[in-house]
Amino acid sequence: MYNPANSRMIELVHVNRVFQRADGQMVKAVDDVSIVIKEGEFVCLVGPSGCGKSTLLQMVAGLIEPSDGDIAVAGKEISGPGRERGMVFQKDSVFPWMRVIDNVEYGLKCRDVPTAERRDIARTYLERVGLAHVEKAWPRELSGGMLKRVAIATVFASGGSVLLLDEPFGALDYVTRHQLQSVLLDLWNEGGSAARRTVLFVTHDVDEALALADRILVFHSGRKIDDLAVTAERPRFTDSLLLPEMVAIKHTLLAHLGLEKRAAPPKMAAGERTGS
Amino acid sequence: MTSAEQFKILSGAPAVRLSRLKIVLAALDPLRVAGMVLFVVVWQVLTLGLPAIILPTPLGVVRRLLSDFLSAPALSYYGVSEANLYGNLIYTTENVAIAVTIGSAIGILAGLLSARFGLIRAIIDPVMMTAGTVPILVAAPFLLIWFGVGRASAVCLVIFYVAVILYVFAQRAATNLDPVYEESARTLGATPRRMVRDILIPATVPEILGGLRIALAGAWGLEAVAELLGSQSGIGKVLEVLAGATDPQGIMATLLMLGLTAIIVDALAAFAVARTTKWNATAL
Repeated sequence: MYNPANSRMIELVHVNRVFQRADGQMVKAVDDVSIVIKEGEFVCLVGPSGCGKSTLLQMVAGLIEPSDGDIAVAGKEISGPGRERGMVFQKDSVFPWMRVIDNVEYGLKCRDVPTAERRDIARTYLERVGLAHVEKAWPRELSGGMLKRVAIATVFASGGSVLLLDEPFGALDYVTRHQLQSVLLDLWNEGGSAARRTVLFVTHDVDEALALADRILVFHSGRKIDDLAVTAERPRFTDSLLLPEMVAIKHTLLAHLGLEKRAAPPKMAAGERTGS
Repeated sequence: MTSAEQFKILSGAPAVRLSRLKIVLAALDPLRVAGMVLFVVVWQVLTLGLPAIILPTPLGVVRRLLSDFLSAPALSYYGVSEANLYGNLIYTTENVAIAVTIGSAIGILAGLLSARFGLIRAIIDPVMMTAGTVPILVAAPFLLIWFGVGRASAVCLVIFYVAVILYVFAQRAATNLDPVYEESARTLGATPRRMVRDILIPATVPEILGGLRIALAGAWGLEAVAELLGSQSGIGKVLEVLAGATDPQGIMATLLMLGLTAIIVDALAAFAVARTTKWNATAL
């Protein structure tokens, strides 16, 4: 899969996106963003809500078009969604009317992979995400965490070389979120560094970005305001997050998010409590 | 995998079987049976004080149904082409079946298209919404002028009624469908044709079938009324003739037959809905 010539796997050149609000006012959701992402890189997009990171991801997915600027994936300018780009949504996107295995197969079915072959591939990935025992179940019988596992198995089975994840674990509890992070990292890592897919992962969780990313892009008001490399070894456990370099990155991120000035929480006056 | 896990995860299948059993049991619910018995008892008691020409006895009505079902020569004297109840029932059932098939095809197609294409919605919505608010029966005289007293006028009326209901149900189902499913299908490489076949149709089927059951229930009544206003055969025609002959026993026997038929068809429809929407717990 790895090809040095393809080191510019995802390329955004002066991308803009303008929305018209209901009151007629124009809002710049993405403001002149240029990014180059290498093949096999795991990139997290971080920023406060409304900073344009999800809009940017949806543009790379081809679900919405940039107002201005160019987006190229693997050297080709994109027009609409493509099979080389798989997406995991924040909401549950597993089709409730298909059994789990049919969901995982769906991307392969869309590209006319023969039934037996696509079933084999789907089974392999269901097993990898730990759901081999529910392949015939209906999605309504699964928990939220299991549905996310199905969604991850689906994009990996579909075989795209670029994975786009839009706050995929945002609605999950702490334990499930951490389990799914390692499921995702294991799948991403399984063929060794040469086989890694390129990942764009939107999150508002600073620790999640630190645990996963090779590189963290910080957004604010539609602009890319920082680009931080994370070089710590994987797998990154609790202690990894305490390494001086990681702590430094975390401070930078928190400062960008406007949280750093509250590093020492102010003592709450007794009168203020009643309001909460 | 342990068998306990397997049971926990795959318990969906037994649950479906269980709920079907529940449907059957619900029909035989002791309270329901008691309600039916009470109804018949009250009816029987009332007949003691009222003349048979006002209120026939329950047993008389059932006997009359059984005897008229295969042969009711009296009907031919009044100009009904089929001199028995079953022939007229078949005529009415055929009309309902034709009208529900055509009406639902039109309604579902128009509803789904209008939910996805703003232009189509802008054109069809006013027509359908007007048709939905006007009591559809007022169109019957026009249809009698255009199509005469044959099948066509009654069928047209019912098609109109069914199409309006299913238009609303299909449109609402497609509008309420979470866009994430279509977005997900697009990123997985689904063509527009696949999007309709694999996403839009299966996702909207439970709600559309719910609408179909409602339309079906109304279709029987509307078809009978349309036949009552002008027809050569059918349950409505029979009722009109029997009313003219002041024959309450015959009318009640005919109504009982129509009611039983509608209940059986609805039960079949409910069974079909449960079968086709296994994935949707709320539809069971």
